[in-house]
Amino acid sequence: MTARNLKNERTAPMKEVTPFYRAMDDPAASGRNITHKKILGTLCSYAPEELIYAAGYHPMRLFSSKADNHLAQNHLQTYCCSVVRGILEDSLAGRLDFLHGTVFVHTCDSMQRLSDIWRLKGRYPFFTDVILPAKMHAPSAQTYMAAVLERCKTDLETDTGRPVTTQALADAIRIYNRIRKNLARIYALKSRYPAALQNKDLLALVKGSMVMDRQAAADHLDKVILRLASAVPDTKDAPKAPFKRLLLSGSVCDMPGLYDLFQETGAAVVGDDLCTGRRWFDGLIPEDMEPMAAITRRYAQRLVCPAKHQDLHTRAQHLIDQARQVAADGVVFVLLKFCDPHAFDYPHLKTCLDDAGIKSLVLELDDSQDSQGQLATRIETFIHMI
Amino acid sequence: MICAGIDIGSITAKAALVDDEKLVGTHIMFTGYNPAAAGRQVFDELLKQTGISASAVKRVVATGYGRASVDFAHKTVTEIICHGAGAHFLAPDVRGVIDVGGQDSKAILLDANGQVENFAMNDKCAAGTGRFLEVMAQALQIPLNQMGEISLGAKTPVKISSICTVFAESEVISMIARQKNRQDIAAGIHISTAARVASLAGKIPLCPPVVMTGGVAKNKGMVKALKDRLGYPVTVGAMPQENGAVGAAVLAAGT
Amino acid sequence: MTRTDEKENRKIAAAKKMRDIMTTYYLDALSASQNHRQVAWITSGGPVEPLVAMDIIPVYPENHGAMIGSAKMGEDLCTKAEEMGYSADLCAYARADIGCAVAKGGPIGGLPKPDMLICCNNICGTVLKWYEVQARYYDVPLFIFDTPVCHTDFFPETAAYVKAQITEYITFLETVTRQKLDMDRMNQVGHLSFEGQKLWQQVLRTTAHKPSPMSAFDAFFFLALIVTLRGTTTAVDFYKELIAEMEDRIANGISVVADEQYRLLWDNLPVWHRLKWLSKKFSDHKACLVADTYTSAWCGAIQYIDPDNFLDSIAQAYTRIYLNIGIDQMADQILDMIAFYDVNGLVMHSNRSCKPYSFGQMDIMHIVQKKAGIPVLMLEADMVDPRSFSESQMDTRIDAFMEIIQHKNRPHTSADMQTGTGQKAGGR
Repeated sequence: MTARNLKNERTAPMKEVTPFYRAMDDPAASGRNITHKKILGTLCSYAPEELIYAAGYHPMRLFSSKADNHLAQNHLQTYCCSVVRGILEDSLAGRLDFLHGTVFVHTCDSMQRLSDIWRLKGRYPFFTDVILPAKMHAPSAQTYMAAVLERCKTDLETDTGRPVTTQALADAIRIYNRIRKNLARIYALKSRYPAALQNKDLLALVKGSMVMDRQAAADHLDKVILRLASAVPDTKDAPKAPFKRLLLSGSVCDMPGLYDLFQETGAAVVGDDLCTGRRWFDGLIPEDMEPMAAITRRYAQRLVCPAKHQDLHTRAQHLIDQARQVAADGVVFVLLKFCDPHAFDYPHLKTCLDDAGIKSLVLELDDSQDSQGQLATRIETFIHMI
Repeated sequence: MICAGIDIGSITAKAALVDDEKLVGTHIMFTGYNPAAAGRQVFDELLKQTGISASAVKRVVATGYGRASVDFAHKTVTEIICHGAGAHFLAPDVRGVIDVGGQDSKAILLDANGQVENFAMNDKCAAGTGRFLEVMAQALQIPLNQMGEISLGAKTPVKISSICTVFAESEVISMIARQKNRQDIAAGIHISTAARVASLAGKIPLCPPVVMTGGVAKNKGMVKALKDRLGYPVTVGAMPQENGAVGAAVLAAGT
Repeated sequence: MTRTDEKENRKIAAAKKMRDIMTTYYLDALSASQNHRQVAWITSGGPVEPLVAMDIIPVYPENHGAMIGSAKMGEDLCTKAEEMGYSADLCAYARADIGCAVAKGGPIGGLPKPDMLICCNNICGTVLKWYEVQARYYDVPLFIFDTPVCHTDFFPETAAYVKAQITEYITFLETVTRQKLDMDRMNQVGHLSFEGQKLWQQVLRTTAHKPSPMSAFDAFFFLALIVTLRGTTTAVDFYKELIAEMEDRIANGISVVADEQYRLLWDNLPVWHRLKWLSKKFSDHKACLVADTYTSAWCGAIQYIDPDNFLDSIAQAYTRIYLNIGIDQMADQILDMIAFYDVNGLVMHSNRSCKPYSFGQMDIMHIVQKKAGIPVLMLEADMVDPRSFSESQMDTRIDAFMEIIQHKNRPHTSADMQTGTGQKAGGR
């Protein structure tokens, strides 16, 4: 495989990536295919998946299928983000009936209320809230967080009727670390050789890994890396590419069409801090620590979500560091309409990027399909500017 | 070298011809239902008008929402870049462009070389666009092209607060029922639109000299309301609607 | 009696004193630095008592937001924040405050610069972000009092976490002020806070009387003291006077709504910029909003407070507030209020600015319709931003709602009014 010209090339993804596309394009089908384990749905990257996995369930990240809103509107007003409304819609419409239950974690206000609405509906046998702290670094918060994860473990054990063993935790940690390491490597390869993968492949790989059986995900990712490693040039320096390099910043960016738009405009996505990207796989779990403590630490320290408080400046600094590290020509904020935590951070992040001489564009997304034309105009203009 | 710019907007299609930094001619017509046909027609009519043959045109750039359908264009460029280029071509000292069209409004910041440095768009909702004015004119039962003039005669403009066009329309209707006079209501409508547009400008922020482009720039009431709201002068060139096509033609030379 | 006289008699005399108290309060705050006192900005649900005990002046950006809304200055200030890049979909209190900090606008020319920021997230996650913004802007220390949500229960780990933060809070204050917290003073303030909350509860309960001597619109106004001056003798003294005046009105048959026929419960924050219009709209329909879930939140923690051990009580008192529990528990509280105040209908303000208060309202509405069998009206608006408000639509909805209520309820007979039937003795 030779390094292809990114622009205007819509080819089929390489075959090692196709299992991820299958999982991404129809998560529900993927869910229904997992019959050897009960499935617990999660809605946020702070969900302690390793615990869920160690307890013997399949943790599956839920995404809105973007179907029309008929049922959720009787529970959530229009000023609610499409992620929350859409997932509720899917549940009420019966599209998530393959779930044994869900694990809600405390993040934003919308999720907080969705948790209540979901619990009151009582549609699935298992339900639990993991009420994580809003502060990530204070020692008292970490003590609390450890206790909260213990409670989650107990809830899972009560449901399965079996203890979650240290061995099971260690195995879960190992497999998640493998997945995370692989995704980080793939991102690094994409950054170095932007033409090696299509932009959309990044979304497929992460989203697919969140949905499919984790063992399968880990194995498939190994294959992707092998394939990439053999395909990219064996030189120290990355070739000077004709396309613009973009860093994406935001929360859930479940819009394959957007990644295609970047591609068509001649821009490569060379990194991100998205919930459907790096935020999910950032931070390995120390394998030489007591497992519960190690898991607690990873979630406390990994790339922060703005719904949590880490401190006042680190998030901006990380964004600038990352932009420099991947040699981004520009940063594109992909913000969901009605997502408050990200919207509050944006002006500060933009100012910091401006001061650092890094150009940025902000896109406000919702699930409406006809926004494609408007997005194209903004993106093309931005690419022209950087 | 003769270059052409084609701007296919939601309501009107425009064409411009530029020959080595000299503007040769422009033409405007309604887009109608078929943007591809409109592109060809506006180009053909401009050629007829200027007596230039199609083969003499070396490069064509298409812009506007319908740009992808102009099959004879060598390149497509967004209307933001084109409006910037057009404004700079027609008035090189301009630093800001406020474009208010039928479906959207934009604020564009230019650097000293006329390059787009920053921009903000409102293309998600009707408030602050020509469409808003159109809906209100209908509610007021006055012709759209007279509403601006009528608004200039207002003594005490009413306050319209809603951001939503539908809400604002019901506000206007209830004001008509309460027999508020047309000039005051028209002025209130313009002030409300200017507020939306000005907040776009404020996001960047724009600074003078600023030129207004797009169909709505022909509305004297809007220009005044915008000037009042922004607190600095806003000029309107001789061809606000054709500005995008002019810019496209200028950019074509560089492709 | 002329109509003007009648209207004058219905006015609550204590309102003037309240305005004077609030004026003094804000003047003190604005002149704090000249008087060598420190100012803390604190969230409306934050534990203010230690601040009062340490002689720090607490200032409430949310109360300021309410003032901005009432003064109809919300649009301009929110627009300013939007120009700074803040989404128009964010909480209007936050937008107005952020805009105000830069533009120095609003009815008092802006709040005094804070020496510290105290953010308690029991009311929402927005305050976390809002206070981060202001901490960067003013470059002052920020303390976050993290009160985990109690969807179904108040767990031991939550109690331990919040208790640990009380200690951290005191340490923080002592560091910033370079003073030590005097425990005697703290106990005094704790007692005053407890007493103030009980008196506020009494104020609110006077409206159980038929006809009601005051309405939720009055409560929205008189609320400011228990929020901003909680823990002071000023608040205690004033509410005693207010209760006396209410009891006087009850004794003399003075109702806030002339000819009260229907009694309603309000849910969510007020529409600050339209209070007069809403009040008149309902009273024209002979309906009195006798109670609301918002103002009653400031006496909702009484059951968790041990006045002799106030500091420790903070853990439960500030964590188990109305907005920090599951919507099923919120619905239960609403059902209790419906019974206690004997209301004919529920008016829910679907407040665009407040997701934790507004999301779940539809589920609560269904529970109320089913269990209490009363009509529920949803009004879509915003507490401070007038651009999300449509008067003609609001008008139509309220009229239609009142028609349903009228149809469902016979008016009170004059016999009911004279005996004051419906006043419940004892608590909920």
